[in-house]
Amino acid sequence: MQNAFTIEDLSYRYPSGETDVIKGISFNVKQGEIFGFLGPSGAGKSTTQKLMIKLLNDYRGSIKYFDNDLKAINESYYEEIGVGFEMPVHFGKLTGLENMKYFSSFYKNKADIKSLMEQVGLWEFRDVLVSQYSKGMKVRLNFVRAMLNNPRVLFLDEVTNGLDPKNAMIIKNMIYDFKKSGGTVFLTTHLMNDVEQLCDQVAFCVNGKLYEIATPRELKLKYGKKEVTVEYHENDLILKQIFELKDLGFNEDFQTLLKSNKLETIHSGETTMEDIFIKVTGAIVHE
Amino acid sequence: MNNIVKLLKGEIQRSIKYLILPVSLLTSVIWVVIFLLISTDEAKTISPLFIFADVAVMSIILVGASYYLERQEGTINSVLMLPIRLSELLAAKFISSMSLAFESVIIIALSLYLIHGITFNYFLLLFYVIVSAMAHTALGFSLALYAKDFNSLLGLLMTFMLVFTLPTIFYTLALIPESFEVFLFLSPSHCANLLMNYAIQSKSIDWKVMLSVGYQLAIAWGLLKYVIYPKFKSNTVRG
Repeated sequence: MQNAFTIEDLSYRYPSGETDVIKGISFNVKQGEIFGFLGPSGAGKSTTQKLMIKLLNDYRGSIKYFDNDLKAINESYYEEIGVGFEMPVHFGKLTGLENMKYFSSFYKNKADIKSLMEQVGLWEFRDVLVSQYSKGMKVRLNFVRAMLNNPRVLFLDEVTNGLDPKNAMIIKNMIYDFKKSGGTVFLTTHLMNDVEQLCDQVAFCVNGKLYEIATPRELKLKYGKKEVTVEYHENDLILKQIFELKDLGFNEDFQTLLKSNKLETIHSGETTMEDIFIKVTGAIVHE
Repeated sequence: MNNIVKLLKGEIQRSIKYLILPVSLLTSVIWVVIFLLISTDEAKTISPLFIFADVAVMSIILVGASYYLERQEGTINSVLMLPIRLSELLAAKFISSMSLAFESVIIIALSLYLIHGITFNYFLLLFYVIVSAMAHTALGFSLALYAKDFNSLLGLLMTFMLVFTLPTIFYTLALIPESFEVFLFLSPSHCANLLMNYAIQSKSIDWKVMLSVGYQLAIAWGLLKYVIYPKFKSNTVRG
């Protein structure tokens, strides 16, 4: 599969900054995949996305879009990409439909606004001023805005942040449908639920550097414990025993436990993306 | 060109929805009421100041404020994701800013004629308005791009008004002696005010007009080339 983006030794320093915020990162985003770009706040995720969508230009290293140098591509680039921002990006004194019609009028390849707004449940609110939309409605409108030009590549920043589970699922299904139709997605997020459900490949960005680039499955295998924990009843007590996953079928203690005790639970040592995020980024969980 | 027309239509639509155009019209109506209450000579003296206020002062304030409103609403990010050139976006913003000045100038010129029978070279006034509005729109943009937040923009605008606009008004009211005028040519506000006076009082073109036009064109060109165009994207997205 061709690379949608090939990024090599990318570095960036803001004009007013003293140090690089992006420090020589390299990665590829394959065409047709959902690439999760993860990391804690201030890690450089948004800056990397701003470089990839040409909002920032004076970078070092190279960004290639379908083998073409991004710096050499003109404004026609925006005919091919859709960007879903985390923050609302609409004129508050215009209605949802007026906003969409305005932005849509600039594209050659126009998506059906009605269909998109219907899918995210906003069509019935099309004539309401955006300033009167709830936060969740604005997030959904951001997603419609990103899809207005039937993009080839979607950039999504915390796309389900602020949505209830039902609407979050609708958006995730639309992203998945977009991928199935051949689209490429660059997803910037810290919501591990989205990552588990959507991403084919993820990269962890911390302090402007990349630490892991792998599939969620590879990461789970790498960071998970290869063990099984069994909770069982014995003498009116609930006890716990941990067994190595290796050769578990031949482990006599395990076999005996299964046969002679009433079991409460059995858990494999598979880890979650949330745990991996914390391990990789070194973040501290405050409960 | 097609993109500029679409952008311009959007700017004008929003100037109505955000009540910028209606407020501007209301201001012009106030000028008309004043013209009804004063003599022809007084109208000829004071009308350049009204046009100056709309063309020079309001251009700076409106451009700066609307840029910050767009940043606050995040719409500028969405606009920057459109398949348009930055030059088209800036051209639309400049024309939109000038269109508000035109609206005011048309109302003032019409009421001067209808109420007092005052006529002058309308094309010359139009040219002077374009030059002055361009320079002051460029100044407004530059101040907005360098302001850290809206409060700092207000501070910069106040400083500009104190340093450049207030002396111009004092000079018009004869509170500053004529011998100091040479220093006032450093002020784009003074240049704009002088051009409006020359157009309405039908004075012939002299070195002061040449200097005022040249200086303001240089300001507009210099700021566009060295400040607004190169800094627009990066300053807009700096967060």
